[in-house]
Amino acid sequence: MTAVDTPVVPWTGVVGRPLPRVEAAAKVTGAIAYADDLQLPGMLFCKLLRSPHPHARVVSVDTTAARAMRGVVAVLTGHDLPTKYGIMPTCEDEQALEHEKVRFVGDPVAAVAAVDEETALAACRAIQVEYQPLAAVESIEDALAPPDGEPLHDYAGPGNVHRLAALEFGDVEAGFARADHVREDVFFFEGNTHLPMEQHSATAQASDGQVTLWSSTQNPHYVHRALAKVLGLPMGSVRVVAAPLGGGFGGKCDPFSHEIAVCKLALVTGRPVKCTLTREEVFYTHRGRHPTLMWVRTGVDREGHILAMHFRSVLDGGAYGSYGPASMLYTGALQPTTYRIPAYRFEGARVFTSKAPCGPKRGHGTPQPRFALEVHLDKIAEELGIDPVTLRRRNYVEPFTRTVNWLRVTSCGLQQITDRVLDASGYARRRRRLGHGMGFAVSSYMCGAGLSIYWNTLPHSQCVVTAGRGGVTVFCGATDIGQGSDSMLATVAAEELGLQPGAIRLVTGDTGLTPVDLGSYSSRVTFMAGNAAREAAAKLRQLLVEAVAEAEGRSPEQVQVRDARIGSLGFEEAVALAEERFGTLATHGSYTPPAGIGGRYKGAGVGPSPAYSYSAAVVELDADPVTGEIDVHKVWLAHDIGRAINELAVRGQVEGGVCMGLGEALMEAQAYRHGLVKQPSMLDYKSLTFLEMPDVETILVETVDPEGPYGAKEVGQGPLLPVIPAVVSAVHDALGVWVDEVPVTPDKVLRALEARARGRDARYGPKSFPVVPYPPLVKVAPPDAAAPTL
Amino acid sequence: MEFLAPTSWDEALAVKAEHPEAEVIAGGTDVMVDLNFDRRRPAMLVDLTRIADLATWQIDGSVLTIGAGVTYARIIDELSTLAPGLAIASRTVGSPQIRNRGTIGGNLGSASPAGDAHPPLLATKATVEVASARGSRSVPVEKFFTGAKRHVLAPDELIAAVTVPVAAGPQQFAKVGTRNAMVIAVTSFALALDPHAHAVGTGIGSAAPTPIRAEEAERVLAGELAAADQWEHRRPLDDHLVDHFARLSAEAAAPIDDVRGTAAYRRHALAVLARRTLSWAWSEYQRN
Repeated sequence: MTAVDTPVVPWTGVVGRPLPRVEAAAKVTGAIAYADDLQLPGMLFCKLLRSPHPHARVVSVDTTAARAMRGVVAVLTGHDLPTKYGIMPTCEDEQALEHEKVRFVGDPVAAVAAVDEETALAACRAIQVEYQPLAAVESIEDALAPPDGEPLHDYAGPGNVHRLAALEFGDVEAGFARADHVREDVFFFEGNTHLPMEQHSATAQASDGQVTLWSSTQNPHYVHRALAKVLGLPMGSVRVVAAPLGGGFGGKCDPFSHEIAVCKLALVTGRPVKCTLTREEVFYTHRGRHPTLMWVRTGVDREGHILAMHFRSVLDGGAYGSYGPASMLYTGALQPTTYRIPAYRFEGARVFTSKAPCGPKRGHGTPQPRFALEVHLDKIAEELGIDPVTLRRRNYVEPFTRTVNWLRVTSCGLQQITDRVLDASGYARRRRRLGHGMGFAVSSYMCGAGLSIYWNTLPHSQCVVTAGRGGVTVFCGATDIGQGSDSMLATVAAEELGLQPGAIRLVTGDTGLTPVDLGSYSSRVTFMAGNAAREAAAKLRQLLVEAVAEAEGRSPEQVQVRDARIGSLGFEEAVALAEERFGTLATHGSYTPPAGIGGRYKGAGVGPSPAYSYSAAVVELDADPVTGEIDVHKVWLAHDIGRAINELAVRGQVEGGVCMGLGEALMEAQAYRHGLVKQPSMLDYKSLTFLEMPDVETILVETVDPEGPYGAKEVGQGPLLPVIPAVVSAVHDALGVWVDEVPVTPDKVLRALEARARGRDARYGPKSFPVVPYPPLVKVAPPDAAAPTL
Repeated sequence: MEFLAPTSWDEALAVKAEHPEAEVIAGGTDVMVDLNFDRRRPAMLVDLTRIADLATWQIDGSVLTIGAGVTYARIIDELSTLAPGLAIASRTVGSPQIRNRGTIGGNLGSASPAGDAHPPLLATKATVEVASARGSRSVPVEKFFTGAKRHVLAPDELIAAVTVPVAAGPQQFAKVGTRNAMVIAVTSFALALDPHAHAVGTGIGSAAPTPIRAEEAERVLAGELAAADQWEHRRPLDDHLVDHFARLSAEAAAPIDDVRGTAAYRRHALAVLARRTLSWAWSEYQRN
């Protein structure tokens, strides 16, 4: 054997290579089974009866006629499922079916299981519900006013205010006093929705008091908890399997009425029950981007160094809590992760309105303040006569520092992504002419929330890897929502074991079979499940290496693992040898974010992350000075990915983020008229088509994060963020007017031009910020700048 | 639901005479949307796509007759010289799939104020050929629309064809919308210049309960062009005349605020579209 003399080199046959996704063939051939593809023998179909009122007391629900219909097997009302739940323990304000009052058009009040969908629908129509309408709460202004009658909820308050926060880090007033220049701006970001291609679908089967749910969910673990609670079953009697998802984007993160209803109906009828939402119902289910009104005041010195910032937000939360308290805190949390802000005050509020509940959408709570902050800095730069890029560079945070709100920043490629995106786009050399513009913006995002949604001491992700005659299997609770989670797990295991990703079998997102992973949200999967999988696979590798080394009489350090070989043995031979030596081969790994990555104040749970990704965008567009129409030609997006585990998948996420960002910037709006969603269809809800999607040039910058798996950071959410302010900035570059309200529609561009023509402020946007009953400030001492930060 | 698929025109007329309540379907790009949304549940559908004659067009002298079943895709491919305004408008319809299915007759039958074929048909003074088992009649397109999604057809009548004069001069069409594909126009404008007849034709979409002409704008522009002997000299148009034409075009509209846009924006955009289409059309006329 000559292998003894070969130096051992790390196997890099997999990580960093642009490999097709492991499920690609199944997806393009249509072989993959999404939740709605599941068919079980004797299956019943469920439809939900939904409220036609934005806010009403439910006086009575008469299901007699529906129950008597041929083909109807069971009918449920709120009395059958009275336990309240909600994703966040502090606002468990939802019921699967409301029997006391409804809070938005589309709020479910009854569920029917019948032999087919048509019969279930007919039975829903036969249910008599007597409502006593109450005053609707249609806007932030409505919600801040004293309630006309009863508020939507009897918790929280005052009135329809859901949650408030007021935090101050450092001496903000002193900062403003020292400033050479202080500027205030008001911005509005309209709500929009996720628009996944796949509608939500759930199927339940029950026997012997045990229930299994297959669902299009991003978070099987949180659904598992909610089901156990609402159904009154031990967690061991409930199993949740996450089906492959046709898009999530945050819209499938909450436990939903239809998921609970099918479980209960399956338990009641003893037959499998399926519920697939219609596209219209997906718009009611929502949990999308919060409409957000923002006010920001910043003090700078003559060179544009930020001395103090005061940021206020008020979020239109819709009818229920959902992730709302977190969404609200996120509107204030990440500003200091891109810019050094020595003194920072954040006041946030979330209000209830009688509209579909808002929740997490790609970028969760941060696209709104990012839009406001970046445009605000552009305006400051313009006033000071400083180039907007230069102004930003003077304020960029440095790698391995701590922000004023105690967030630990590690790898940070802000300067590199700025250099690269400017070089590629020619932004600095752009030719100025009316109607043509370029805009620049940067952003950052978390690689997984530092804390779980509910308090627990579980690792955030856990993985088991087994090897035997059946090959290598990775068991992990992580859920592939289309972002490439499965490919990532397979790649990590393959890298450690010297295999190719296709050789790895995956069992994921199944609470009955896989250890807990908290779910596919907050861009946490690659960082957290990736680290867990790496630990588990490395342990297995160690067993294989030890067995082979022992058999060959070499030291483990001399055994190479690559190309499906362990030392001189083929992988399967090595597995057989190790199994003989150690017994069943099963190793585990887990990941918990390090302690001390955030502060210790109330509200400090939102913002900390083991690492932050950074993105920079340049948008080039034409803006028609007479019609206000915007035609985006190209977007350059430089992203600090840490390290690309799969470059192809990373580029896909960047392009998807740019597409979604442009949709939000230019046209998407979940708007209401008298409590009714105005555009509840794919035709009426406008998002980008192929025709509007510009060229995207993706530039990946690898800063190799010290804690990410192989140095990797997130890409699922970050690249959306800078696109929106860059569009606004480019419109200003083209026409000289500011549109301080997203989406930037032709109508608003024209109104800004008209305002300028009339000698008024050359902008379109909210005129003022309302009076919000923010609580007294909680003053938090900033980290000691002199002390070591890590 | 009963589904009838007559294979000849006479058979179709007989079916419609016998079942005047039956819903007519051609490409299905409007009817199927309504069925999917449960906006209507007709007891009977009459499919006209199997009548081969309906999907043909022919020229008789200077008159172009386009069968009701001719699709947008074929108008783009085959009629861009004979009916350029209609072809330009057809290019802006929906997506390739919609253009392959949607027909000119179907567009008229739906009678949406936003129908993309309507403004160029108004601008070229088209005639809708209507038939029933009782006989046939010709309806000038501007008399065809009676309200939002309403038209003059009797319950037993079908649209056989549309006749338009073969284009004698430049024609243009423009629309604005939230995006470029798969969109219902926020507002649209069509213009047809006829140097032989010294005539100006216009059509406005999505800015009134029905598609309409801007008659005053047509009259003023035609009058000024004739007075200055512009048809002969082809000099650049006076800016004031273009602005005046644009203003009169916008004033002809009666727009509303809705999901797609505000009345104020529609009126503003209409003036812009009128100005642009006139500039494009006149440049083309000057070149040729």
